[in-house]
Amino acid sequence: MKILRNIFAASALLVAATASAQSGQPFIHDPSTLAECDGKWYTFGTGGGGIISDDGWNWHSGAERPGGGAAPDMIKICDRYLCIYGATGGGLGGGHAGRILTMWNKTLDPKSPDFKWSDAVEVCYSDGMEDQDAIDPGVLLDPTTGRLWVSYGTYFGTIRLIELDPQTGFRAAGNKEKDIAIDCEASDLIYRNGYYYLLGTHGTCCDGVNSTYNIVVGRSKSVQGPYIDNVGRDMYHGGGKMVIAAGDRKTGAGHFGRTIIDEGVEVMSFHWEADFDMGGRSTLAVRPLLWKNDWPVGGDQLKEGTYEIESERRGYSLELAVDFVRMNVARAGGFGGFGGGQQANAAPPQPVAEQKLEDVISTWPSGNIPLRIGDYMFRPHQKWTLTAVPEAGGYLSNPYFKITIAGTDRALAATEDVEVTTVPAFTGAPEQLWRIEQLIDGTFRIMPKQIPGKEGTNTKYVLYSAGDSTPTLAEYDFNSDNSKWNLRSNH
Amino acid sequence: MKHLIAVFLMGVPLALTAQNPVIRNQFSADPTARVFNNKVYLYPSHDIKPPVGQRQDWFCMEDYHVFSSENLTDWTDHGMIVTQNKVPWVRPNSYSMWAPDCVYRNGKYYFYFPSSPNAGGGFAVGVAIADSPEGPFIPEPEPIKGINGIDPCVLQASDGNAYIFWGNGMCAKLKENMKELADDNPKSTRKFGDREFEMVGVNCLQGLPNRQAEGPFAFEYNGNYYLTYPYVREKTEVLGYAMSKNPMGPYEYKGLIMAEHANGCWTNHHSIINYKGQWYLFYHHNDFSPSDDKRRSVCIDKLTFNADGTIQEVKPTMRGVGINKATEKIEIDRYSSASSDVTTELIDTVNTFRSYQAALPKKGSWLCYKDVDFSDITEDSYLIISVKAAGNTAFCIREKSATGKVIAKISLDNIVPPETPNAQAGGGMMGRFRRDLRNQWLTQTAALAYVPKGVTDLVVTNEGDAEIAVDYVLFKNRPKYFSPSTAAPIAPDSEGFIHRWMLLEPINKPNSGNTVFTDSYLREHFNREYFKGQQTILPKDGQKVQAVFKQEQAPAGFGRGMQQAPAQPEVKTVKQTLTWHALDSENMNVKLFRFAEKWGEQVYGVLFWAVTIIDCPEDIKDVRLAVGSNSASMWWLNGEETLLLSGDRRMVKDDAMSSRVTLKKGRNVLRGAIINGPGMSDFCVRFLDEKGNPVTNYSIINNK
Repeated sequence: MKILRNIFAASALLVAATASAQSGQPFIHDPSTLAECDGKWYTFGTGGGGIISDDGWNWHSGAERPGGGAAPDMIKICDRYLCIYGATGGGLGGGHAGRILTMWNKTLDPKSPDFKWSDAVEVCYSDGMEDQDAIDPGVLLDPTTGRLWVSYGTYFGTIRLIELDPQTGFRAAGNKEKDIAIDCEASDLIYRNGYYYLLGTHGTCCDGVNSTYNIVVGRSKSVQGPYIDNVGRDMYHGGGKMVIAAGDRKTGAGHFGRTIIDEGVEVMSFHWEADFDMGGRSTLAVRPLLWKNDWPVGGDQLKEGTYEIESERRGYSLELAVDFVRMNVARAGGFGGFGGGQQANAAPPQPVAEQKLEDVISTWPSGNIPLRIGDYMFRPHQKWTLTAVPEAGGYLSNPYFKITIAGTDRALAATEDVEVTTVPAFTGAPEQLWRIEQLIDGTFRIMPKQIPGKEGTNTKYVLYSAGDSTPTLAEYDFNSDNSKWNLRSNH
Repeated sequence: MKHLIAVFLMGVPLALTAQNPVIRNQFSADPTARVFNNKVYLYPSHDIKPPVGQRQDWFCMEDYHVFSSENLTDWTDHGMIVTQNKVPWVRPNSYSMWAPDCVYRNGKYYFYFPSSPNAGGGFAVGVAIADSPEGPFIPEPEPIKGINGIDPCVLQASDGNAYIFWGNGMCAKLKENMKELADDNPKSTRKFGDREFEMVGVNCLQGLPNRQAEGPFAFEYNGNYYLTYPYVREKTEVLGYAMSKNPMGPYEYKGLIMAEHANGCWTNHHSIINYKGQWYLFYHHNDFSPSDDKRRSVCIDKLTFNADGTIQEVKPTMRGVGINKATEKIEIDRYSSASSDVTTELIDTVNTFRSYQAALPKKGSWLCYKDVDFSDITEDSYLIISVKAAGNTAFCIREKSATGKVIAKISLDNIVPPETPNAQAGGGMMGRFRRDLRNQWLTQTAALAYVPKGVTDLVVTNEGDAEIAVDYVLFKNRPKYFSPSTAAPIAPDSEGFIHRWMLLEPINKPNSGNTVFTDSYLREHFNREYFKGQQTILPKDGQKVQAVFKQEQAPAGFGRGMQQAPAQPEVKTVKQTLTWHALDSENMNVKLFRFAEKWGEQVYGVLFWAVTIIDCPEDIKDVRLAVGSNSASMWWLNGEETLLLSGDRRMVKDDAMSSRVTLKKGRNVLRGAIINGPGMSDFCVRFLDEKGNPVTNYSIINNK
């Protein structure tokens, strides 16, 4: 945080025209790890305040955090929220003399009668003379021990580790600081599968479209480090493996936070220094968090477009249960085609036109058409177009999509008997809206917003391979490939 | 949260304990201190806030902790030793684990404690026995027969007997097993209403000032037995004492050890020890619970005997006893003396364990904190003070008196925000981050103008026009970043990093951002001549160069996306006299920022030149120069450009590598230029072989 831009200035209402970023007013710098409270999502940024989303996709201002300063983090412990933030330091005002404070609240909803922050308590500080700058705290409640850890610091010296008492939010008695990294800031700690991970933000902050901010990681079997990168380099010597950097018309990824939605479903929250589609402003990003060989990898924003929907179970693809229409193309060269040089004088091979929608659509029924999973032949009944339906809202990482046969309005829909079908035209009904989330292994789960006859938003049933050839809806199970699908641009 | 409880059961050193009260993470009362194995062990009772269902305005004590210290300033909490529901005879959840004692006899530690028994009402006294003063203590299944009362104290007299005192001054001899009253104690019968029961022992305070007497503490010194005890003189308790030639009296009342607490705290309860030749009074006061005197905290002050064996009255102090190391966090608000306008109050009336602050309202206000040991503080040191101010002001830390030598002066000039946030003075973009710091706790640092020697007294003086309040102060030695190069050649470290460099004091090269360091910018600016012999000099330590160069003025904020560089920046001719320093870095990364802080005019917007001389026993072929630098840098080996690191770089080990080069037999000169805008400049350099292993078989010469 060498310098921060004034990112909370009043602004004209901007609505994302595409599905490429969080919608509404997702304007924030240094977003705290997403926190859920009474079904809403909250994240708090530098300068005070924060943004709220009812659905995880549309964001608006209104969250309240006193104390100002930079780069808070938030964690729910039992039935309370612990906020940790740097009140001074970061080269601002008080120079590099920083204080990190914690405070509690029963709720994050400023309208709740229970909304009251406890008095902030200092848990560590940097004195301004040492190689340390006590801001940018990131917090981890170790799931294996119940102990509460904080990493903090900036480019001005080291990233430090301290322990707090999870019952009070005070510094753990007798705890001493430990230096675990250099040359990064906006750090965070996470734990997964026997490893502790230290995420740090590298590169140039706060330079708008020219910011090279990026998020790197090292890992350790001990929370105390050393945090080592993929080439064996200690983060204490500047090491780090890239998790997410610029791309997709956005620059400057910073201030990582991890949110586990479900088993195998994780997202990371961070900010872009500049979103080219939002006037170059600093915005919240929520992206799938993938894991490869026990390393975190930033997933891509799911893009609208036409895809093969391939089952992870068998590798067959979701298709309309219609007659397979043979293409009348003679086998070139007959079986002699395998012979090579014998046909040296033949004309050069010509491309074969693929089967088109208009070639086959007349053979399809006009009403609902059931579904099947079959050999992928890039035929029209196997090509699905994903289109965002922004007015339907969303969930963490994406808006709801309609899934239609390419070139038609025929839409994938959930049915009352917890099966799937296609309806001739998309009506916007909730059973035709799909939540599509990339899982930690890179596959996707595809979930109807609602199942007719069932109350409320569906968070359980997903598109599922009942058999190699038979799709249905069934309860999501990360440990079964029946729950998983690949979206392949493979036409 | 089982894991956490386990953590607390281990010895936990407390952070802030030199001052009164001495136990700062929990309430503690009725302190019995004992010296075992040349350490002071403290066995207080443990006040807690009453749980739901218990009387809220009454004493509430569930268990006991034991603490120890070797210097009376650092106390270690050894955790809980006895708890009510693990003692068979104690009525469950009676929360009546009142004032205890602990003595050593015949190889065992005997811990005596009162509580409410399962049967019979009133109070009984039990024993728990351990092999160590820290426990584990095993409670006896039954309380001591014949004692109905509270506040046990055991005196081991020079006559070879152990005597137990309790309640309102009762005393009886113990058997050698320490668990039963002796059979030859005097007995009497007493009527209580229509009931009659047998009393064992004698009441030593019969006929003495003894209204509501309790908490007897008896000891022997210089042939006299002292029976000391709290009693109510007027409305609240004082500590009085009586003397005798016999353990069981008769005793003669002698006067006060401590008068009533000034704030009306109802109780006091105490013990007296001699430790390393000094007598100490342990007592309690409700410092962390001023509105509820049933939650108390242990304090210590020195106690003095008169030549005739009588005791001088002790005045309670905030400062307490012991010498603070200057490197400790010293709660300076618990001062020894102060000007009459100084006041103290709790920092946080809810979380009272955050302790106190002291306010110095105006210019001339002062407070003095005695006995701070500076023997660990070096010349290159600084102080840290937690302070808040009502407005822009200044204050000093002085030695010994309000007019003593100034150790450090601290100006608080940025407390009040500018009227208009974007005003010129301190304004601009940064002005938006200027906050109102009035009455906000700030951590201030200052280099020491003068470093005291040995043990001395600190005085804080308000030297400005606004009230200040102070919480704590501590002193720190700066880390060592460099040593002067030694005469003998050195090797690279085991990872191949070169620690020995000739560094030139920084050339002023203003740049407010680091993204401007493009390849062409660097080639242009590194290849300019700043001083004669720039690419050929083999400098010696202390050698000076005259730098004369053209300097483009960087507009404020340029490079941070706030404004664009002007097409034609203003250019000035600058002259600087700069000195080369032959240094060995303590770290693998050479901390140019700290070098500039010590020897440069600027720490930001600077260009450094670095030279090192490598002596090889033979040609070392096909190695690569590996560099990480903050920010951009350029490197020449034997006069040839070898490596360029452009852009906003951080000090990353092996960030960039040269193509394969040869370190030739004999001397090789490696020269680097490092440029930095904002941020902490540093670099690390090594050579790696074809397999990526560090090259270490050469030496680095000091060019004497």
